[in-house]
Amino acid sequence: MGALRFLLRRLAFSAALILGVSFILFALINAIGNPIQILLSETPGVSEEMIATLSRYYGLDGNFIDRYGAWLWSIVHFDFGTSIIYNQPVGELLEVYGLETLKLQLPAILLSTLIATAAGVIAAMRQHGWADFSIVSSAMLGHSLPGFLVGIVLILIFSYWLGVLPSYGAYSTRNLMMGSMVIDGLWHMVLPVAMLTVFNTATLTLLMRSSLVDVLRQDYITAAWASGLPARRVVLHHALRNAFIPQLTYLGTLFGLMLGTAPVTETVFTWPGLGALYITAIHQLDYPVIMGVTMVITVMLVVATLLTDIAYVVIDPRIRLG
Amino acid sequence: MDADFASSPVSVLATLQRPPAGVWRQAWHRFRRNRAGMIGLVLVTLVVLTAIIGPFVAPYDPNDNAAMLRGASNAAPSARNWLGTDRNGYDVLSRTIYGAPTALAVGLGAMLIASLIGVLVGGVAGYVGGFTDEALMRGAEFFMVVPVFVVILAVVRLFGIIVVGTPLERIPNFNLMTIILLLGLFSWPQIARMTRAEFLRLRHAEFVEAARCIGTTPREILFRHILPNALPPLIVLVALGIGGAILAEAMVSFLGFGDPKSISWGQILFFNYQSLKVAPWACLAPGTAIFVTVLGFNLLADGLTDAFNPRVRA
Amino acid sequence: MRSIPVSAPDPSPAKAGQPGPLLAVEGLKVHFHTRDGVVRAVDGVDFQVGTGQTLGIVGESGSGKTVASLTLLRLAPPPARIVAGRVVFEGENLLLQPDKRLAEIRGRRMAMIFQNPATSLNPILSVGQQLTEILRWHTGVSRQAALDRAAELLTLVGISDPAARLRQYPHELSGGMKQRVGIARALLCEPALLLADEPTTALDVTIQAQILDLLADLRQRLSMSMVLVTHDMGVVARMADRITVMYAGRVCETADADTIFNAPQHPYTRALLESVPRIDHSYSGARRVLPSIAGRPPDLLHAPPGCRFHDRCPEAAPECRRTMPREHLVAPGHSVSCLRRGSPGEETP
Repeated sequence: MGALRFLLRRLAFSAALILGVSFILFALINAIGNPIQILLSETPGVSEEMIATLSRYYGLDGNFIDRYGAWLWSIVHFDFGTSIIYNQPVGELLEVYGLETLKLQLPAILLSTLIATAAGVIAAMRQHGWADFSIVSSAMLGHSLPGFLVGIVLILIFSYWLGVLPSYGAYSTRNLMMGSMVIDGLWHMVLPVAMLTVFNTATLTLLMRSSLVDVLRQDYITAAWASGLPARRVVLHHALRNAFIPQLTYLGTLFGLMLGTAPVTETVFTWPGLGALYITAIHQLDYPVIMGVTMVITVMLVVATLLTDIAYVVIDPRIRLG
Repeated sequence: MDADFASSPVSVLATLQRPPAGVWRQAWHRFRRNRAGMIGLVLVTLVVLTAIIGPFVAPYDPNDNAAMLRGASNAAPSARNWLGTDRNGYDVLSRTIYGAPTALAVGLGAMLIASLIGVLVGGVAGYVGGFTDEALMRGAEFFMVVPVFVVILAVVRLFGIIVVGTPLERIPNFNLMTIILLLGLFSWPQIARMTRAEFLRLRHAEFVEAARCIGTTPREILFRHILPNALPPLIVLVALGIGGAILAEAMVSFLGFGDPKSISWGQILFFNYQSLKVAPWACLAPGTAIFVTVLGFNLLADGLTDAFNPRVRA
Repeated sequence: MRSIPVSAPDPSPAKAGQPGPLLAVEGLKVHFHTRDGVVRAVDGVDFQVGTGQTLGIVGESGSGKTVASLTLLRLAPPPARIVAGRVVFEGENLLLQPDKRLAEIRGRRMAMIFQNPATSLNPILSVGQQLTEILRWHTGVSRQAALDRAAELLTLVGISDPAARLRQYPHELSGGMKQRVGIARALLCEPALLLADEPTTALDVTIQAQILDLLADLRQRLSMSMVLVTHDMGVVARMADRITVMYAGRVCETADADTIFNAPQHPYTRALLESVPRIDHSYSGARRVLPSIAGRPPDLLHAPPGCRFHDRCPEAAPECRRTMPREHLVAPGHSVSCLRRGSPGEETP
């Protein structure tokens, strides 16, 4: 019952969030005037009538509130409109490009969680030892290393100097790696996923270590030792699960951060994902795409937050979402 | 350990006192022993010094692209150009040096805005409480969940179009100021949350109750008792935020939405990323500058956390 | 997961009739190496516990009693370092045993109950999970058998409806109930020795009495030995057969409970007893105020030379400032460490 009420409140907040973001963007786009006009006014041979017709076609006539209402109405029916630049339904674009984005981010999140947990455990167990020191200092460095710089350095080393990994795109344009789409795709994923993983792992490791160090000091851990449980059991079963609780919130935040900075990642690797789509759309004022991408990213964030909350309840019995 | 002697008169007395100036001296004492924090301080000092005296010692004018006319763009580091030249023929070292004041302006400016809003909102929420608190914190949450970076990109671009033809256009570095303003507008919620938490904690602290008992005015309580005590965690947040804002501006500029008239590290990266293969120095130099600056502020924040909370590390 | 089969021989080599006490601590020194210097938390401590006996270790906070008791199971947290001494339990020096052997003894032959029930149970595991895990690790019984045994123990410690409790999480239990679960956890494998570190300090006064009664009863029924660490003279008066009084990391006096209460020798023991309010005393006239010990316990980072108690001792002589007393027997089973009671001295460096 409490959980249901919490869920409803959360959903209401999410809906308000999505409405708010869309309204602000819509208003701003509106404020610049008619994008068709801006885009085509300097193109020779385009008449006023053509602009008017196109504007009507893209639903750019009428007053602001009506248009926002119409946009909302179609969004509710999963109709994101038609891209001005690509002349394709935005829904299709979002699906294709969105999958490419997730292809990088999900493996990165998974990998970094695994690596960070292992590194955090090692560091916390050998507190103030040399392993701890080297893990913490490299994590501290990595944590301050902006992701896109890691990407640039990776490209320099592995693509330009060693020539072993591709530096751009999701697939080879001419010869597929080993003649297989799958292997070729994976091959292209290596560098971008590595870049995202480096960035996430550093932060997660620092967090994991500090919360584990904190948990290992607790009475119930001393009690577990005093009960004669073996180290593996004490650390993995008793300490790690407790230490993971603060981590969870951060995983949600991290996912949001990765998604939010997808434009940067995808620019560095010329990756055909949502971020790249977004950049092009902003440059070209392709407003249905701008709105669509923003909506998809916001919704993904909301879903990630929701999943985090659910995971909380599963892992920590004390939380009953009042 | 044992709880039996915890409430001895001495410890009660200690909680009755406001933090004397000695707290800061003690924090500095602990900070000096923190290796990470001291490295951070050195790095930040380095960046600040570069920003102040850099323009006087930079070997070239940042807009001097004479090298291109000589056909020496994308030249490797040499005695003439210590860090080489970029694809426009600019001296990489000079431009990187001139990027420092821009970076600091972005970091400090954005955090100044964020702190003003954050402390005000958080303070009011924490001190007034009730419905006001609820409403303000919902608002803060809203800003925390929004995909900030994506929104900033769109707003910067659209704003750039909106101002065309208005008097605003003539303000120098208007675009950069927009970015600073936006970064500030999107960074305040963290500060607000922390301020609120500290205010809630301190509102019922014994020394505040004591001050209230002896008839101290609410104003006095707020500014002399609560705010100074809430300061340490806020300072840590601001230090972290400065690094974050500098990084965010670099990314915005790297994507080509920066201020073309200002010299920033992100801009240099944007201009030179296509020639990464032929002139890696033109990307590595500003990249390193960003890294060093962000690292400096992060380490500084780390050291400050330690200095203000001696309990955290035994 | 490795488990010991039920039929495995009891790992303890001690058997009835074996000479020597169940537990003997000799010359134990535990030092904390901090940034500011070495804190000598436990600095040369001896005591013994016989089979079926309850030893009360009494002292103020900071006297080293908690560290000493944790060290018996080698659980003192870093930066604590065991510098010297022996902990001989059932014939083995625990300080020299490998970790694996120690894990066999912990929880099985020697178990511990903690001061704060609110923090000594894992918040995210159910009571049943926490109890059966230990049982299954030590004895390798089936899940169902472990659950049955856990329920049995919960009944033993006075918890009604054990089946329901096993499914609950610590935050759903009251403080007294949590402490009972903590006791049940310690008793799972019927240990020979139970360490109890301030088992009632964090509880309400009414619950304190219940828990003490429970412990006294269990000790009788399971014929366990017990080390009871406390600052509360009332608690040891009720529970202990023998009492060791500690001050600033050193033992002042050890004797039978009767002797400690009726014929204490060490000035610190006397002062401690005088500062306990007594019903049969009338605090009127000249003795209107409950006496207290002047001064504060010494900072162990800069421990005073000589007897650690000298600057608060009403009987201190000049020699007490220079010479550290060594424990000696003043009567059979009664040892005192005080120069004014004839203890030999050890020159402090």
